[in-house]
Amino acid sequence: MGEFKIMDGNDAAAHGVMLSRPDVVAIFPITPNTTLINGVAELTASGKMKAKNVTVENEHAALSVVAGAAAAGARTFTASASQGVVHMEEVLWMIPGSRLPLVMAICNRSISNPGSLMCTHSDSLLQRDNGWLQLYCEDAQEVIDTTIQSYRIAEDKRVLLPIHFCLDGYVTSACAIPVNVPDQDKVDEFLPPYPHEHFYLDPTNTIRPEPGLPNYRGLETEQRYIIDEALIGAKEVIKEVNDEWGEMFGRKYGNGLIEEYRTEDAKGVLVTMGSMTGTARVVVDQMRDEGKPIGLVKLRTFRPFPTEEFKRIGAKVDAMGFVDRNFSHGAASGGGIGVVETSRALYHLDERPPLLGFIAGIGGRDVTYENFRYMAEKVLKAAETGKVEKEVEWIQLMEG
Amino acid sequence: MAIEEKKIILPGGNTCPGCTGPIVHRIIYNTLGKNVIQFGGGGCGGGSPRDVPSYSLHHSGVASGATGIVKALEAQGRTDITVVALAGDGAASNTSFGKLSAAALRDDNMMFFTCDNEAYMNTGVQKSDLTPYNAWTRTTPLGKKTRKMDLPMIMAYHYVPYVATVTPAYHADFVRKLKRAQEIEGFKYFHVLQPCPTGWRHDPAKAIELSRLAVQTKIWPLYEIDDGNFKITYKPREFKPVSEYLGPQRRYSHLDDGMVEEIQKLQDEEWENVLSRDGKYIWG
Repeated sequence: MGEFKIMDGNDAAAHGVMLSRPDVVAIFPITPNTTLINGVAELTASGKMKAKNVTVENEHAALSVVAGAAAAGARTFTASASQGVVHMEEVLWMIPGSRLPLVMAICNRSISNPGSLMCTHSDSLLQRDNGWLQLYCEDAQEVIDTTIQSYRIAEDKRVLLPIHFCLDGYVTSACAIPVNVPDQDKVDEFLPPYPHEHFYLDPTNTIRPEPGLPNYRGLETEQRYIIDEALIGAKEVIKEVNDEWGEMFGRKYGNGLIEEYRTEDAKGVLVTMGSMTGTARVVVDQMRDEGKPIGLVKLRTFRPFPTEEFKRIGAKVDAMGFVDRNFSHGAASGGGIGVVETSRALYHLDERPPLLGFIAGIGGRDVTYENFRYMAEKVLKAAETGKVEKEVEWIQLMEG
Repeated sequence: MAIEEKKIILPGGNTCPGCTGPIVHRIIYNTLGKNVIQFGGGGCGGGSPRDVPSYSLHHSGVASGATGIVKALEAQGRTDITVVALAGDGAASNTSFGKLSAAALRDDNMMFFTCDNEAYMNTGVQKSDLTPYNAWTRTTPLGKKTRKMDLPMIMAYHYVPYVATVTPAYHADFVRKLKRAQEIEGFKYFHVLQPCPTGWRHDPAKAIELSRLAVQTKIWPLYEIDDGNFKITYKPREFKPVSEYLGPQRRYSHLDDGMVEEIQKLQDEEWENVLSRDGKYIWG
């Protein structure tokens, strides 16, 4: 079943896109996703992929091209990172309102200045409020699987919203591992052609929507509410798609929203996103061997945020720590975005666990075993004492 | 000449009295027919509903959004539909200039219209890069100190298969050019001079008159560039002085005789340039 190939995350995404049979792809390079779009161009040039590729002039245009194409009934793809995502900002907000099920990859990278070419999750998390779904991948295998799943989720009639699937720049995008590439005929079975029956541009279609125009009728409240309902409802779809993928391809990612690791009898849990999860898992195993009751939650779906899952886990553990690979300057308690979201999710629990925020891995700095052990010990100490020494701690911060 | 009215422009428009936008859109859609998809509105002059499928992504998405539609139709093998992209002069010369340029360089199969009323009129008359020399706007209260960019010629040197200048007073010329362009595959560029009573500060009844005067005073030469072959499509028998065009517009009310003379000289030179290209292959 499937074929194993050595692939990095960008290669995996390009092959996932190929297997999803998009009609139109907008191509523009930016480090660290450049090899992803090179891959798409090569797969098309070799005839393996049939998409119409458009070599655009910038990221703003890339998203405009795929939006226009999706409005005319095409399945599409584009990718970006960092400054490119920020340059797209204006168009990003327009897509959910048009209910266009675009799929876009973000190779997470810092935003300047100061910035780097390496991974920080700020570029994608900046988009958390505009109605896109966001899935975070741990490794190249999850990337290829999530790419294909993304089309199924976005195009589901209950969702019809765009998706960002995110992979950590370099650590995932350029790190090669053996990847099981699904068979095309099985992918075709899993992902039928894009139906584009709700809204598309066709002279024979008598509906004349102009969703891009400003809303003069004062119904933005209701429109935003409907988008919110669809986004929240997408949780069930993500779970279903994850289950179905598991049945067809033999791999699952937790319940689709989160992946729990040794949380059953844990007193404290750490929450991670993306590639650092692998390191954290090893540390959890080591500490469990030492009899320390630590567990791990990988947050796979950041939007819609899995509130119910966090409540369930929050109610049974004595402390929780969120490892944010991002920052939110000036946020409540100085938190990263993840810990602020988690605070809200846990707020109405009868007995809230102490919640610790850690900011780690900014600008691609490695989050080491020692770092995870340090954070896990802090969480376990809070579990024991019921107290939080420091609400947010910047890990590996150089002093002086 | 009998005009077949296909009722593509629907009632309920919200343009200003005397706006030439709906007239331009009527000419475009009555000629191109109903088998079109429209992207963008063409600035505030496009504020009239049309019975054609349309989509837009703010003014800054013009051209690339239309490219997406073109590529989707190509992927679906639908070759019979004409894709129309409409931009105001602000989008074409400023916010989406790069997009217009890139779509032209990719030779994407669309008809692109710059609906040029020579300033950001939707926001209440602010300068764009297609505002003419010494015209008043709210952001150039003393008159714009630099010239209007020659966008049709800039587009011609993107080596696109068809470029045309038009204005609604010359209806037959406009229609013929539309029909010619619809036969051509690739990127077709139309630059429409669209008088705006609100921004140009003139009597709303005189919009078409000014559209005609622009051609008769060398302000707006009508030409087409068909596969690199430049041709003036209308030569007035005799020209009128630019003062006849500038006079009725209060955006030029601050001009003294010397300034009017300066504009006359610029337009005389401009016409010599246009004449020197007439009948020639300009890409050689």
